[in-house]
Amino acid sequence: MKLLSGQRAWLLQRITAVYVGVYVVLALGFFVLAAPPDHAAWQAVMGHPVVGLVTAVFVLLLWLHAWIGLRDVVMDYVHAPGARLVVFVLGGGGLLLTGLWAFFILIRAGLA
Amino acid sequence: MEFSIYRFNPETDTLPKMQRFTLTDDQIEPGMMLLDALLLLKEQDDSLGFRRSCQHGVCGSDGMNINGVNGLACITPLADLEAPVTLRPFPGMPVIRDLIVDMDNFWDQYRRAEPWLVNDSPEPEVERKQSPQDRDQLDGLYECILCGCCSAACPSYWWNPDKFLGPAALLQAARFIQDSRDEATDHRLAELDDAWKLYRCHTIMNCTQVCPKGLNPSRAISDIRRTMLKKSL
Repeated sequence: MKLLSGQRAWLLQRITAVYVGVYVVLALGFFVLAAPPDHAAWQAVMGHPVVGLVTAVFVLLLWLHAWIGLRDVVMDYVHAPGARLVVFVLGGGGLLLTGLWAFFILIRAGLA
Repeated sequence: MEFSIYRFNPETDTLPKMQRFTLTDDQIEPGMMLLDALLLLKEQDDSLGFRRSCQHGVCGSDGMNINGVNGLACITPLADLEAPVTLRPFPGMPVIRDLIVDMDNFWDQYRRAEPWLVNDSPEPEVERKQSPQDRDQLDGLYECILCGCCSAACPSYWWNPDKFLGPAALLQAARFIQDSRDEATDHRLAELDDAWKLYRCHTIMNCTQVCPKGLNPSRAISDIRRTMLKKSL
C-alpha cells in the first residue's frame, strides 16, 4: 500500500498529530473555561459551520493518524497473514465505523 | 566472582540452561576485562563457546548480552559488573552454541544497505577529494565495527529481522548517503522509502544506549529521514 507507506505515512502521522494535538488542547480549554451548560447550547456550538468544519477535519485526521498507528502496530507484532488480515479488517472497520458515526453526529448538529 | 552463563549445544541439549562459574579473588587482576575472565572460565570448561578475536574493541566479535545489556566483553571492565555476572547470547538472534549467535541475517541486511561508494564519474588521477567540511559529515558514522550490539538490542529488528534493516545497516546507509563523493543518494533514499526497511524504527534509542563505540544510530536514522524529506520537498 504505497499510498500510506514509508515516508508519506511517517510524515502524515506527524502532521495529523500536530492538528489533533492543537484541536485537543483548544477543545479542553473551551470545556474548562466556557463549557456549554446544556444540550441545546452544545448543539449550537457544534452546529456552527466553523466548529463543524474544524471538527470534521479533526475526525478525518484522527482517523488517518489512528489507521497509520494501527497499521504500524500490526506490522510490528502480528506476523501471521490470517491474523493480520483479521486485525486489519476489525480494526480498520472499527475505525471507519466510528469515523462515520462522528461525521453523522456533526451533520445532525449542523442540520439542527 | 560468580558468573551465570547461558549454555546451549544443539547437538546434545533440548533446552538451554544457565551454568554457574566462579573465579577466585586471586584469579582476578586489576583492570581485567570480561573477556579475560571468559578466557579463564574456558580453562575450567573448554566446551564454553564464545567468539573473540582482536580483544581490543575493534573486530566486534565478542558482542553478547552482559547483565541484560548488549556490549563487547573485551572492553567491559570486570570491576564495573555486578555479580553474579549474567551472560547471554544476543537477544533476537538464533543461537549456534552458548554465546555464539548466527549473524547471517545481520550481514544480509548490511549488504542490502549497499555499503560501498557509488561513483561512476571518471576516476581522477590521484583520489576523489572531499572538503574537510564534507569529510566531517562522516564522523560518527564510519567508526562502526559491525559488532551487532545495536541491532540485537532493537525490538523492531527482533520482530521483523528479515524486513527492517536494523540500526547497524541503517548507520551504514547514512554513512554513504552523507558521503559527498557518492552519486547514488537518490537511489539509496528511494530504496529505503517503504514501510519496512527504515520506517520500522520507532526511535526508542536502545541502539544508541548500547553502542560500545559511542555512536548514535538513532540520530543517523533521523538524518536519513530528514534528507529524504528535504529531497522530496
